[in-house]
Amino acid sequence: MTNEFDRLPGRTLKRRDFIRYAGIAAGAGVLAACKKAVSPSSGPTGGPSATRPPIAEEPGGLQVFDWSGYGGGEYYPGKERQYLWADYQKATGDTPKFILFENDDAGYTKIAAGARYDVVHPCAYRFKDYVDLGVVQPWDTSLIADYTQLNPTLEQAGQIDGQQYFIVEDWGFIAPLYRADKVQPTEDSWSLLWDDRYSGRISWINTLEMLVIAGYYHQVADPWTMTDDELAQMRDFLISKKHLVSFLWDQSYDLWRAFKQGDVWIGYAWPDTVGYATAAGMDVVYMQPKEGRIWWSCGLGLFKDSANYYHAHEYADSWSTAKAALFLESYYYYGHANSTVDLSQLPPAIVKAFSLDDVSALQPPKAHTESWISRRSVYSQYWSEVLAA
Amino acid sequence: MAAPDVIDPAKKWRRRERRATAGLLSGPLAWLLLFFVAPVVYVAIYSFGTIKLFPTDTGVVTLDGWRRFFDGSVYLALFWKSIRISLTVSVVVVLLSYPIGYFLALCVKKRKYVLLLLIIAPFLTSYLLRVLAWKIILGDSGVINSFLFATHLRSPDHPITWLLYSQFSVMLVLAYVWIPFVALPIFVSLDNLNRSVLEAAGDLGASRWQTFWRVTFRLSLPGVVAAFVFVFVPTIGEFVTPLLVGGPSGYMYGNAIQDLFTKGLDWQTGSVLAMFLLLVVAGLMALFGRFVQPRSVAT
Repeated sequence: MTNEFDRLPGRTLKRRDFIRYAGIAAGAGVLAACKKAVSPSSGPTGGPSATRPPIAEEPGGLQVFDWSGYGGGEYYPGKERQYLWADYQKATGDTPKFILFENDDAGYTKIAAGARYDVVHPCAYRFKDYVDLGVVQPWDTSLIADYTQLNPTLEQAGQIDGQQYFIVEDWGFIAPLYRADKVQPTEDSWSLLWDDRYSGRISWINTLEMLVIAGYYHQVADPWTMTDDELAQMRDFLISKKHLVSFLWDQSYDLWRAFKQGDVWIGYAWPDTVGYATAAGMDVVYMQPKEGRIWWSCGLGLFKDSANYYHAHEYADSWSTAKAALFLESYYYYGHANSTVDLSQLPPAIVKAFSLDDVSALQPPKAHTESWISRRSVYSQYWSEVLAA
Repeated sequence: MAAPDVIDPAKKWRRRERRATAGLLSGPLAWLLLFFVAPVVYVAIYSFGTIKLFPTDTGVVTLDGWRRFFDGSVYLALFWKSIRISLTVSVVVVLLSYPIGYFLALCVKKRKYVLLLLIIAPFLTSYLLRVLAWKIILGDSGVINSFLFATHLRSPDHPITWLLYSQFSVMLVLAYVWIPFVALPIFVSLDNLNRSVLEAAGDLGASRWQTFWRVTFRLSLPGVVAAFVFVFVPTIGEFVTPLLVGGPSGYMYGNAIQDLFTKGLDWQTGSVLAMFLLLVVAGLMALFGRFVQPRSVAT
């Protein structure tokens, strides 16, 4: 099969290609910049010292508990295998089995209820919950050949109690997105999500992170650890603004569809929507709000009782390659922790949208890490009240 | 030597019948116990905080969840909102379905079952597709707004925005989805009417309207009530349609339950909401059950 990336430098970029490869640049550029700031050796490499059977004696049939489109072939049959786990298959001769979850919370619920697999792929705000459940074990990063190519800033998000419980692979921004031909923001701020002038043209995400966004807007000291009073204030604020919202999205594709159909002009957006909109020729702006963007990351976790310990490490290695990074960045417009991607040919529009020319793009005040919320159930109650009000 | 016991054949038959009945019922009963009663009991227990499933669960029995629900909770208000939506949908759907059932049962002579099949034909396509099709029809650039733009009845800068992501869109799509279901019991009820009663009404001097109102409609009432229940009860807890076309204003009680169990992971509050809904629905079923007997619908 022809490798599209190998052919990249020798051809004229079309619009679709432009955005695709810009996504690559977006991820890799920022990560390359961040990598300079942190020593590669800062991450833990040690894993559990228990005696284990060699890989040849493991049962195989690796079970991966993951999002759809991340290897199971739901979005890009063939390509997902080719870029994400063909190396694993080559190394082990095994074909992984994918068990899908709809979202992080549904995945965590299933695990809390007793389901067990070999590898899980949650996002950072859930990492500690998995560790607290006692279902995952630290990786032995020395068994992951490409681990040294991963951005240490991102890998720190996967470390709990000094152990690398999650190998962070994919990441992205959260920021307001708007149609430049329809919307004139008074300032670069999250306040655009509740701008009265655009009533009925705004879309929020249907998660409790809207409380956090409101917290940043109201300059709460730490929106990830708000008190009951602060949460009540954010709840009341969001309820007072809810009438401006057209719909709350659950899947980012719903937001993109609404943008495409002209139903909404402003949205709480992930980079994929920016990518799709730009590729479709829409005049959109991915804002750098004065309160700062938020960046999320997701990573691979290894189940404690997995009988496929070495298989799982091979799988994580396969996911950590530059090849996997290119796939994720070019097809999903998400970033990837591998910072060795060639960034030589980058469209300026995407460089700007993803702040590739800014080495501080992932650092406060420009961006805040999506954090674990210790009082998540309380946040959830307040958000439920926003929805139900 | 004692005489052998003589077993009464009737008693023997009854015993065998009881055994056969128990044998036949054991499967469905076990199924119900395992997949309905047990989960409901589990949810009920969870609503009191007795079960510890997540690290954040205390495992201590508490009435806090129920107290929060009844003490000025937004969920109670949301429940009434859902009742209002369901009630509106049910009334509209019954009103729209009655003429369909009437036409099929009393006006069509030939191929009535072919026509009935046509009514339920939309069910051959995916529910999701049917609902998503409404998004295309009702959106700002959808069929209706495009028509209004083309006919200059509306400026492209000012489409009708309340067509989608509103309570209206939820009620419209729910009505569309439920009409065929509701038409069926009404059709059955009317189809089984004794026509000679209608002729007798005419012979006794009743006008067509009087015949309909005092005879046909009253005899079809069990079917109408059954149809109403068919749509009212399930739509109270509806969550898929509001999720797809409701937006913030079309958010219903079922969405709150779904969100609490999936996104919020607040299973205790979710259990309280689910149990409350179950109790209300059970009460409604008991109430309607007094008026609707399967036999009265079918005969």
